[in-house]
Amino acid sequence: MLGLDIVEPSAAAERTRREGATFTVQALTITDEELVARSMDGDVESFNQLIKRWERPIYALAYRTLGREEDARDVCQETFLRAYRAINGFKGQAKFSSWLYRIALNLCRDWMRKQRRQPVVQMPEDVDITELASEQGPVESIETLVARKELGRAVAIAMAALPEEQRTAIVLKEYHGLTFQEIADMQGCPLSTVKTRLYQGLSVVRRQLEQGGMSVADIRGDAS
Amino acid sequence: MSTHFHCDDTETLVAYLYDDIDPVMRDAVARHLTGCARCRDEVAALGGVRQVLSEWTPPSPALRFTVVPESAVSNVIRPPASAWQTVPRWAQAIAAMLALAVGASVANVQVRHDAGGWTVSTGWMTPAPGATAAAAPGAEAAWRPALASLEESLRREFAARPALVAPVPEATAAAPAAASDSAETLARVRALIDASEKRQQQELALRLTQFVRDVELQRRADLVKINQGLGQLEGRTGAEVERQREAINYLIRAGLRPQQ
Repeated sequence: MLGLDIVEPSAAAERTRREGATFTVQALTITDEELVARSMDGDVESFNQLIKRWERPIYALAYRTLGREEDARDVCQETFLRAYRAINGFKGQAKFSSWLYRIALNLCRDWMRKQRRQPVVQMPEDVDITELASEQGPVESIETLVARKELGRAVAIAMAALPEEQRTAIVLKEYHGLTFQEIADMQGCPLSTVKTRLYQGLSVVRRQLEQGGMSVADIRGDAS
Repeated sequence: MSTHFHCDDTETLVAYLYDDIDPVMRDAVARHLTGCARCRDEVAALGGVRQVLSEWTPPSPALRFTVVPESAVSNVIRPPASAWQTVPRWAQAIAAMLALAVGASVANVQVRHDAGGWTVSTGWMTPAPGATAAAAPGAEAAWRPALASLEESLRREFAARPALVAPVPEATAAAPAAASDSAETLARVRALIDASEKRQQQELALRLTQFVRDVELQRRADLVKINQGLGQLEGRTGAEVERQREAINYLIRAGLRPQQ
């Protein structure tokens, strides 16, 4: 039997792990497949290495799907727990990450069914002037950061209004860079359906933003 | 595969937008866009939406989930085991026997074995004499010789008595015998009362123990409820603080905006 333990990382380690992409820098010498094979042989440390690589993308996926930090954390933890228990059933037909995404999405779907509700828009993006001051880069003003946070919140609200399939398709494509085929496999639908969902989803988000008083053209100019 | 792009082909437009498209088709779309302002605007708008989407960043909590073998875990918090599960098995067995004994005494369970086999009876009602006689016809053979020998010994005792005691009037001679009988009866009654009191005391002690245990369980349940209530109160207070923080942030933002 196994347990999942959560340990607070040091601040320095956390900084290096802040963005999901940084995990690719670490330990590239060992592939996911090799770590999976070792995990199948009972090497717990190899599985922990996989967790280290993928916990942030999985958390981000759950957060953007559910919209709530605590739920995203729970789904993330449960995803790895289930993956560990089922690691011997992983056949390697798909990428390990796709397998993880699928587990996480199923858990998100179960969560939404249980709660019988749409994703919420939490306020973690709330503007805290002290936090902003610490985040402020050398060229960005506080005003720019505030505007950026506001934009993020507007996007979160627009995304929460989308049907689940469209939202998932956008999240997987936009934030996780999956191919149309990978999304189609994950959602169990034809390739053309994925493209239609993406087009419709993006169009709805555009309308929502414009209804909120934002012109997409202006936003492009502001953000760039 | 067609290398010609139509304005209503949204699937190909999305593929072009994400650059997940066949190179030949990509060139066809690019050619179309140079001549079609509507499609050009559409692609630009959707590209703008994509750019805005990139502004939505999730929070960065400390995660670091770690799988650890249970043998190596000493500080993982688990739901508390019930009080009954923490009691050793031998103590559970004793408790079960005690409960059975108390139940049996309360129900006045009587188990008898005689020539008619095993007899189990419950309740505090004494059986009817007829029923007792009818229930033990076979036992008569067992107690009859004992009764006869008792009668014989009593006769011998009474026969020996006149030799030891001076003859007295009949009324006065009967008095000591009656007094002796009543003293014996009194002693028996006292013994019975003592036994009954002892049994009642035991029952009382057992019930008191049970009562104390019930009170303890209720106390624990109340503590859990209070704890939950406090947790909810804390959550509400947190939400209130969150709202106030939001209001303060709004004021700060309003203050930061340039004056018109």
